[in-house]
Amino acid sequence: MSGHILIQQPGNAVVTDLGRFRGPRFGLPVNGALDQYSARAANILAGNLDNDPLVEITALDFRMKAHSDILIAVTGAPLTLSVGGRPCSQWEPVSVRAGEMVSIRGINRGLRAYVAIHGSVEAPMLLGSCAPDTVVGFGLQLTEGTTLLTRRSVSPVRQPYFDLPLFRLGLERPNMGSELLVDVTDGPDVADFGDSSELLFTSEYAVSGRSNHIGLRLGGQLPERTSSGEVLSRGVPVGAVEVPSREELLVLHRGRGVTAGYPVLAVVTSSGLDVLAQARPDDKVHFRKTTVAEATAAHRRSRAQLETLRESVNTVFGLLGIGCRPQWQDLPVAACS
Amino acid sequence: MSILSAAPTEIYESGDSALRVVALAEASEDNWQTVHRLADWLESCGAEGLHGAVPTYDSVLVEFDPVLVSARQVRAFVKLGLLEMGRSGGAEAAPREFDVPVVYGGDYGPDLEKVAEYQGIPTEEVIRLHTEKTYTVRCLGAPAGSPMMDGPAFPKPVPRLKDPRLSVPAGAVAVAGRQAVIAPAVAPGGWCVIGQTPLTVLNIRREPLVPYKPGDILRFRRIEAEDFGSYVGRELEPRP
Repeated sequence: MSGHILIQQPGNAVVTDLGRFRGPRFGLPVNGALDQYSARAANILAGNLDNDPLVEITALDFRMKAHSDILIAVTGAPLTLSVGGRPCSQWEPVSVRAGEMVSIRGINRGLRAYVAIHGSVEAPMLLGSCAPDTVVGFGLQLTEGTTLLTRRSVSPVRQPYFDLPLFRLGLERPNMGSELLVDVTDGPDVADFGDSSELLFTSEYAVSGRSNHIGLRLGGQLPERTSSGEVLSRGVPVGAVEVPSREELLVLHRGRGVTAGYPVLAVVTSSGLDVLAQARPDDKVHFRKTTVAEATAAHRRSRAQLETLRESVNTVFGLLGIGCRPQWQDLPVAACS
Repeated sequence: MSILSAAPTEIYESGDSALRVVALAEASEDNWQTVHRLADWLESCGAEGLHGAVPTYDSVLVEFDPVLVSARQVRAFVKLGLLEMGRSGGAEAAPREFDVPVVYGGDYGPDLEKVAEYQGIPTEEVIRLHTEKTYTVRCLGAPAGSPMMDGPAFPKPVPRLKDPRLSVPAGAVAVAGRQAVIAPAVAPGGWCVIGQTPLTVLNIRREPLVPYKPGDILRFRRIEAEDFGSYVGRELEPRP
């Protein structure tokens, strides 16, 4: 059985997924959830596939009303979550009954939150992804009155004893504050900056308000390019750190144009990009040098935690009779019980 | 394409999820062919964990999922691809040709006079040089699958704007350095806009989103401002 959800206060929210991985070949950025760890965690906690469409909320308060019984999970920046007026926990599955309001307020440390709904929601697709692309004008930006269709609904699940929280899954939550530590590896053009490249690791940078999903602009002491001459347009990785002007450092995020003509000083690691996804204007950023091997190992450790979480969720959901295994995803709930 | 072996290359780390492969031959044509054939090989090899490849002029960015493959494995894979390419030769489809009507100057090409002045030639000469050449699409770039091409035979490279525009209209025909481009979608831009085509280039309800691919050929044809409206709504299509 499917259900629907009515958006009552959209704030700044879109439906997205992990990204358009086929896009760069065609000149489109990958886009998708900027904090990939939180987005994956939300979907896993809701019993979904990692790449299922979910809601990304940036900075502003958000409310939606369930018109059928659903199960949700909210991750990302710390916030105040309430369902039908009851305070609820983030980073845990939360049961929402038909007619109840889900309210998200007070994002003031970190910037982005994720709401996954069990069974996911319908969204238009482009090159295999629903991730919005602001340049080509694609994607589902939520507005007041938008109805989201969920692919499945879930009967209410309540803890029978004293209404205690139902789940204690013990997932590591990312630290969020106004001082961010971001790991980078040397970029392919680090030599173009000579000794000044070390400034990146000894200086503190402030996040500019002109930052967005395409790139973050950071004020501080800038390494200077010692080479000159025209650089041919090249594919640039997500996470590329460039010095395009004398005022600011530019760190490209998932909405970056796929080609550019600036030398790449450093590249933010996959885990570091999740940290930057939560950076607010005026937050302070310190860069720390790492190697590709260490960055890969750190990224794999964090993904292994998510796999452990997935096993716990599968076990708990199995015991409670929620949902079903992924290969039965599209069967009606009744067929799985 | 009948080239037999790949250009010499160098591979650079580019974070934990990408490698940059740069071709180092003397001839830019060899480099371009090498990076595009390598990208095609990587796309078609079906290796797990490879997201895709972004080839441009002399380089290709190879993107991958670091949980499924390591940078070291992808590097070995790229080397294998370069060898395989040399053995198999190419059998690419013949390039298609596109005819692009352009209104030059005025509101359609606000930087035409600036470009002419910098080059020390009349605007008519800028237009003549821009329309006389046939352009090979070298790669699809930002924004939105722009056709990146080698520029017209101007006396000097064209400097980028000091203050990039916040919004350049779709269809803008622009030049910078020794490159030429059409903007498929509205976007900020620092290139000099010398004209605009009334044709629709990008269609997100169709795959692929833009009609041309690397290797295809474009020609610009001058039209008058009063004819702009009669083309609006038509899509850029290859010549039959």
